[in-house]
Parts: sequence; C-alpha cells; structure tokens
Amino acid sequence: MDYFGQLLANGLVLGAIYALTAVAFTLVYGVVRLVNFAFGELFMLGAFLTTSLMLPEVRLLGTVVPMPGFPLPIAALGAIVVTGIIGVVVDRIAYRPLRNAPRLAPLITSIAVSVVLQSLAQTIWGAEELRFPQFYLATLEPVVLFDSIYLSVMDLVVMATAIVAMLGLSLFIARSSLGRAMRASAEDQTAAMLVGIPVNRVVAAAFAIGSGFAALAGLLYAQTYGFAHSSMGFLPGLKALTAAVLGGIGSVPGAALGGLILGLVEALGAGYLPNGTAWKDAISFVLLVGLLYLRPQGLLGRPELNSAGRGSLLGGASSAGVGWLQAVFARFDALLTRGAAAGTPAAFGLLAVAVVVGLMVPSDYWLRILTMVVIYGMLASGLNVIVGFAGLLDLGFVAFWAVGSYLTSILFVLVLKDGYGIAPQEVWWLLYLNLPLAGLLAAGFAVLLGTPTLKLRGDYLAIMTLGFGEIVRVVAINWMDLTNGPMGIRGIPAPNLFGISLGSPRAQFFFALALAVVVVFAVARLVRSYVGRAWVAIREDEEAAEAMGVPTARYKLYAYAASGFVGGFVGVFYAHSQQYISPLNFSLFENILLLMLVVLGGLGTFIGPFVGALIWIAFLQLALDLPFVQAYPETRFALLGVVLIVLMVFRPQGLAASARVGLTMPGARAKEAA
Amino acid sequence: MTALLEARQVVVRFGGLEAVGGLDMAVARGAIHGLIGPNGAGKTTVLNVLTGFIRPTAGRLVFDGEEIGGLNVNGFARRGLARTFQNIRLFGAMTVLESVLVGAHQRFSSSAPALIFGGRAARAAERAMIARAHELLTFVGLGREVVDRVATTLSYGHQRRVEIARALMSSPKLLLLDEPLAGMNALEKQEIADLVRQVRAQGIAVLLIEHDMQIVRSLCDHLTVLEYGKRLADGAPEKVLSDPAVQAAYLGRTR
Repeated sequence: MDYFGQLLANGLVLGAIYALTAVAFTLVYGVVRLVNFAFGELFMLGAFLTTSLMLPEVRLLGTVVPMPGFPLPIAALGAIVVTGIIGVVVDRIAYRPLRNAPRLAPLITSIAVSVVLQSLAQTIWGAEELRFPQFYLATLEPVVLFDSIYLSVMDLVVMATAIVAMLGLSLFIARSSLGRAMRASAEDQTAAMLVGIPVNRVVAAAFAIGSGFAALAGLLYAQTYGFAHSSMGFLPGLKALTAAVLGGIGSVPGAALGGLILGLVEALGAGYLPNGTAWKDAISFVLLVGLLYLRPQGLLGRPELNSAGRGSLLGGASSAGVGWLQAVFARFDALLTRGAAAGTPAAFGLLAVAVVVGLMVPSDYWLRILTMVVIYGMLASGLNVIVGFAGLLDLGFVAFWAVGSYLTSILFVLVLKDGYGIAPQEVWWLLYLNLPLAGLLAAGFAVLLGTPTLKLRGDYLAIMTLGFGEIVRVVAINWMDLTNGPMGIRGIPAPNLFGISLGSPRAQFFFALALAVVVVFAVARLVRSYVGRAWVAIREDEEAAEAMGVPTARYKLYAYAASGFVGGFVGVFYAHSQQYISPLNFSLFENILLLMLVVLGGLGTFIGPFVGALIWIAFLQLALDLPFVQAYPETRFALLGVVLIVLMVFRPQGLAASARVGLTMPGARAKEAA
Repeated sequence: MTALLEARQVVVRFGGLEAVGGLDMAVARGAIHGLIGPNGAGKTTVLNVLTGFIRPTAGRLVFDGEEIGGLNVNGFARRGLARTFQNIRLFGAMTVLESVLVGAHQRFSSSAPALIFGGRAARAAERAMIARAHELLTFVGLGREVVDRVATTLSYGHQRRVEIARALMSSPKLLLLDEPLAGMNALEKQEIADLVRQVRAQGIAVLLIEHDMQIVRSLCDHLTVLEYGKRLADGAPEKVLSDPAVQAAYLGRTR
C-alpha cells in the first residue's frame, strides 16, 4: 500500500506535467490541425530559460554571462512569456506560409523546427546538464501522507499549478471572445474568416498560449528532476503527444485526462513490472499504438480528425522566392526533365560518373564519405517507396534498417564467433545470404507493423509509426541477450569475397555502389509497373483508387514490405561497413534525417534520395571548415533544419522534383509511335 | 432474362436521417438506365451504395447473379462495376495514360520477381494494356497529343473523358456515371450522349444520374425516379416523365 501510494503520487506529478504539455499539442491541433512536434523543444526552452534566469550567472556560448538570479515565480513568468513569443515567431516564419499546403508539409516543417531549436539550445547552453538551482520552497520538509507517502511541497505546487492553469484555460476558451474565436476557427477556418474573425491572430494566440503551457511544463519538469538539458524535451514531448492523442487530440479536458492516465500508467508500470524502469518508455508507446489501433479518435475526441489527405504529401511547385533563385531552379529543372526523359541512359551516365569518381578520389577519407552518401541514398530510397510513392508518412523506417544490421551482426559475432568460435572469414559467404534474408525478414516485419496502421491516415499514421520505431529502439536497448543492449555489437567483419577482404575504403565504396544499383533497379522496376501506378493512385486519391479495383490495403502493405526489404538489405551492408552497431545508430533522429533527405531531394523520384544524401553529407563536411561550426558542431543540424524549412516554404516539391518518374514499363511503349 | 444489377429493399440511414428508404431497382443487361430526381433525393447516395462506397443499413445487392453486398469497394470494381465521380477525381501527378492504366489494375497479375527481373509475360501484359488504353482514349475522343500530359491539367471536358476511359479500362459490365454532363455546353452534351450509346453498343450497361430531361428522354431506355430517398416511379422514359406524380415532384421543387 505504501509503495503503491508513493507510485501514485509520483504518477500524479508526472501526469500533471504531461497534461500541461498535452494541452499545448491539443490547443494548436484544434485550431490549425497541425501536430507541432516542436513543442517538445519549447518545453526544453522553458526549462533552460527559467533555470538561467534563476542563476546568478550562466555560461552561454562558452562565455560566462551574469544573470539576474530571480526567484522562481518571476523567472518562470519570464520564461513563459519569452517561450510564448518564440512560439508565435516560429508560427509566423515556418508554419503560416504553409497554411494552405497539404497537411504533412507543416508536420515535416515542425520536425525541422524541432531539430533547429534543439541544436541551437545545445550550441548556446552546451552539451552538459544545467543544474536547477536551490530555492526556498524546495528546502521545506516534505508532506507525509498516511505516515508513508512522501510528497515534497514542490510536488504539490506542480499539481496545483497544473490544475489552476488548465481550469483557467478552459474558462478562457469558454468565456472570452478570443476563446470563442478559437472555437470558431477550430470548427471551420474559412467560415471563421468570412464572418470577420482575424484567423491569423487567433492562430498566433493559440501558439502563444500553447508554447506558454509547454514552457510551464518544462520548467516544472526541470524543477522536479533538478536539471535542464538540450535533449530533455524529446521524450516528454512525444509522451505529451501520446497523452493528447490518448485523450482525443483537440480536446482540452481530453489532454488533461490523457496526461494523467499516462503519468499514472508510467509510474505504476515502472514500479510493478519486472525491470519496469528500463521499459517504462516502451509502456507509453505500447499504450499509444494500442489506442490508435482500437480507437484512433482518443477517449474524448471526435472521429473525423483521422481524415484522408489527398495528393502528394508536400504539394506542387511554389512560385514564391526571389527572381534569380527561380531562374536557377528553372535551369536545374530543365536539366532534370531531360535527364528523366532519357531514363536508362541517364542512369548509366550517373553510374559511370560515380565509378570514375570512385576510381579517381585519392583519399580514403573522402571515399568513406562517399560510401556514406551511397548508404544514406539507398536507405532514403527505401523510405521513398513508402513516403514518396505510396504517400504514407512512416517515421518508423529505421526499425527495418535495424533489423538488417542486427540480424547479420548477431549471426556473425554473437552466434558464430562468440558461440561456436567460427572465424568470420570462414563463413564470408554468409554476408551474401544475409542480404536477401534480412530483406525478407525486415519486409515481414514491415507487414506486421503496417497491418495495424492501415486504418490510419495522415498525422495519426505518422504518430503510430513513430511509436513503433520507439518501441523497437527500447527493445533493442533492453533485450540484452539478443542485442548486447546499449553496449552494441563490436567486431563485425568487413565484407569479404572468396577470402579477399573488401575492407578498404575503395572496395567498400564499390560494394555500396553495386548494392545501390541493385536497389534502384529493383525499386524502379516495381514503380514503373502496375504496382507503382497503384501506389501513386493511393497517394493521390485512395477512394478513387479503390473504386478502380485497387485493393488499397494490400498495396499499402506491399509498399511497407518493399520499403522494409530495402531497409533490411542495406542494413546488412551498413553493419559490415561500420563494423560496430548500437541502438544509437537507429534513433528517431536517423529516421527524421532520412525523411529530410528524401524531402530535400524530391519525394517520389529515383534520384531525389541520392541528391538529398549527397547534399547533406557534403554539407556536413564542408561546414566543418567553418570556424564557427568547428567550435559548435551542433549548428550543422540547425543549418540543415533551416535549409529544410526554407525549402518547404519556397520549393516544397524538393530539389530534384522535375526528374519525374514515368509509371509505365520502359520499352513497353516502343512500338506505339508507329 | 434476369437483371444485371438488382437492389432489393435497400435502406441507408445516416444517424437518424433516412437517406434511402427501402429502394427496389433493377438495371437490365445492355440498358441505359437513368436515375433522376430533384436535388437531395438521394441519387448519389444510391450510386455510392451500388459501387460499395456506402454500405447500406439494410437490403441486398445482387450483381450478375451474385450477392455483392458484403464486398469492399475494390471487390465491386473487380466484379465489373466501374464508376465516375460527380466531382471529377483523377489522380494528380499522373499522366493521362498512367491514370487510365490504373483502371486496368485487376487485369495485371505479374509477381514482384517477374516485374523486377523483367518477365516476358509481365512485359506482354503491360504492352497489351497500353495498347488498350490508347484504343479507349481514341474511343472517348481524345487524341494522341494528350496521352502524356498530366491528367489534371486538361480541360474540364477532357478530364471527364479521361475518367470514362479509366472506368472502361476495367472492362466493366456496368458503367455508373454520376452527372457526366454537368457543366457542359449543348454540343459537348450531345457528344457525351453519343459516347454513352457507343458504350452500350459494346454490350456494357450504363447507369447514369442526369438532370437534363431532354437528354434523359432521348438517351435512356429505362428511368428510376427518386424523391426523398424513395422510388417515385420506374419504367420507360415516356411513361415515367408523363406521370403526374413525377411532374409534380419536379415542378413543385425546381420551379
């Protein structure tokens, strides 16, 4: 009973924090139908700002800056106001230009905003934790309930603050004229605009209030756990989103309920399940996935929010942008269009260029970098099948990649070498067997994970796949016997052919290039057939595709399978090329990065993923020459995020979008000209 | 001879609203069957029921002697019911040829390995369907010059024709057209009406929703009139259109 009571109390504190963040997600979603992933980062900013304002001095960008040393309430208020303003600015710059774009464009932008804010925070405050200062309330004796449950005064303050904030918000939405305008905009934005509601101002208000709530939750979290850190917002952000979905996204009471449930389940799960603390992150995501499967509208939500998006995820050409940039793009587009029309010869031309580059580049360093370009290009091609062609935003793709990498590493290292003492060179051929085997295994896995998502669309699909990806990562970390856990697997042998090691950087590059030829060829053959036409038809109009006799559910699973196959296939080579893997290699960030590469290059093209990978890796290396970046390596990610945001606003179709992919079998039309 | 498509006692309720109340109708083989009625009578709802988009609250659907009520939408299409939409729904970003080929989806059967390794049968099927698509595009009156254009960039009238070609691509037994003449001028209407007759001449039955009574009178062999989701009249056009109840429904509501 004592133990239970204590867990209950902990759960309530955690639940209050989740509930406050969930309110942020729900408020903005309600008004603009945007899942703003960046709230996790605004949560983090709230924590950093409060902590900094309370301290006498803080090290910012490496220099010690004197700070006012405010008491908690004033620091908190300041942090909430500043974060609210940041939220409004983010909306103005990154989201407002995309208000009429397809729904996934702002979603991807919000992921980019998230990356930018997190990298900037790490640049400013450094990679270490910033300790939350001592203050009067925290030094008071804890309150003891029933002789055995300890609640600190601050725990009570956290709960009371959450209750007051949420009641206040509910009253505000119900009674004030701005609140009424918010409800009207939530129902129908166009109609609200027609009756004279300044919708942009209402949306800005929603962002301001939401960001304030996120900041409040963040500073309470920092206070409870005693620190602020640049990546602290990531998991609570995802969990708050889970809580919002749990309660029914768009509903404020739902967010409160969802937060509470999630906090309690997590605290009790951590306390009672065997090894519960290690698995507690998985508990939330299992809950999320289960709920989305059984009741996607959440506990208190309305069903229509799982609505169908039609058409490409990102929309067509944008006419925004300065003249010279448009001209550059026009030149580039003409080149790509000609290349795409040439088809196979153009592909051979590019391959020849890659071969020549591979032979000529003198330094091992650059060969390794080029190998990474090819690996990321292949992985992005796999993701492109599901996201670019079938139009399903999958944030769990890394799981398939992980399946391939782990399969081959476990077989070679943990089973054969450690278990039976068989040297890798004796079984060099196993690598070539593992490639298709891992592909099939990952494809099976993809179908397994894809099946429960079939009912979901748009944002919900993205959230569910994200949940799956996180579950897989937590399993990889905790299933020590299978994966070696966080230590990872070392000593994975380099590729080998008939006893000849292919470990040299040049050999690896050509190995990767050969695999890329296989991947692109296979994907292209599938896309340029009735299968690819069915995928694109599903992306463009699922109902019409179904009415034309396309079994859409089955073809979505085929897309998952094809995408999973590529992930597993490439994952095998990845493991052998890196020779060391750990769960860190397969984080959500990697998935986001791959997604950004595809978006950067152009969704639904064959060359786009490679263009994206080339630009990204080249950018990473070139940026290292800048003195500022040398001092603050994280700024590279911030820059990538900025590039992506700019791209979403000015060129949502991606750089290589003009390399349009034909969807009929090459050669099948040869005779028709006659 | 039995009817091609039979709806028996079909009821559709949305919450408390009864959109279709106990409808019986039958579409004969090789017929051009008109579905008419004032605005809000439930015509599109009936069409959606007949193509599987809406699962009726009660009632049976028999197509070509087979019970089809429990099938998915793609199951309806696979059995030979093809449709067009009131608001044209072509696939954006696809060319005319590619869009039309989607209509032939069920006629492809090559496996993934066959597609990847370039099986002879896979190539032959693709070739045959592309040839068929060209035939059908010519049949609906579209020239070679539009084949490789993105379908949604064509004129409204041409988009309608692409949609009809796409539906015919599945070699249906029954073609369902939801207001195919909407928004067209007199000449275009005559052209589409002629096209519908040619479709029928190939042995494909047609069910169409239409408001233009002159066209309906000259085009249809059989009419079903709906009012408030119920069948008001059913039979040959001359007989139905001279029915006082039908005239009252139209005159009372449209002017």
